[in-house]
Amino acid sequence: MADAIDCQEASARLYDYLKRELTPELAEAVRRHLEECSHCFDRATFERNFLDLLQARARREVCPGELRERILKILGAESAPD
Amino acid sequence: MAELSTAGATFDAEALPHLDALYRVALRLTGDPTQSEDLVQDTMLKAYRSWRQYRPGTNAKGWLLTILRNTFINSYRRRKLEPVATDLDAIEPYAIDRAAESADPEGTFFSRIVDQKVLEAVDALPPEFREVLVLSDMEDLRYAEIAEALQVPVGTVKSRLFRARRLLQAALYAHAVEMGYLKPRQEG
Repeated sequence: MADAIDCQEASARLYDYLKRELTPELAEAVRRHLEECSHCFDRATFERNFLDLLQARARREVCPGELRERILKILGAESAPD
Repeated sequence: MAELSTAGATFDAEALPHLDALYRVALRLTGDPTQSEDLVQDTMLKAYRSWRQYRPGTNAKGWLLTILRNTFINSYRRRKLEPVATDLDAIEPYAIDRAAESADPEGTFFSRIVDQKVLEAVDALPPEFREVLVLSDMEDLRYAEIAEALQVPVGTVKSRLFRARRLLQAALYAHAVEMGYLKPRQEG
């Protein structure tokens, strides 16, 4: 079982946790702390809402169709490299 | 297009699905649609020509974005003479961030901010912060992939990200207060 961590460590590792960059053991330790600490839980919700915002709003711009066609045409004129 | 295959990974199948992501990152880096189109086109041509250097099984999106970022640094940024922030540590965005957390502890105000304002706030970040935030939090590259793309240690990526997020939160909070999405709590 993962060792218990305090608010300071949970806070320091929060973004790594939310970005799934922690080892399974550390992620579990942070998850447990968030379950038990309402202050850190709110903080995690705040940061998660922020990250969700960036993910959701970032994906709406798409490559213009004309550019896509131009690129395909240019690559079509290329011969395979060595 | 010649049928290009590296250990079974074809350029068409691996690279073309990432055109949207390349274009979005180009927009954030250049701030200009015409330059973004040129940058994406240059990137795809370079990627096609060096496709044999791509390691199948690794993240093609990360590989392509690395080419795009390097092309931008080498050819595009110079043209714009964009100043490089010299003292990134001097930026201390903590005060407003704490205010945001106390006024709206769960950050529900974030969802009320319109797309255009979010993107404007991202575009207003210093370039070194903007690029890590775009690659990590908008396009979801791993810290290690970003470190490789930027040729900096993972610790540098993380510290820049930390500051980028704080700066962006401060800007979004100020906007939310201005728009009346939340009221700043009186301290004291």
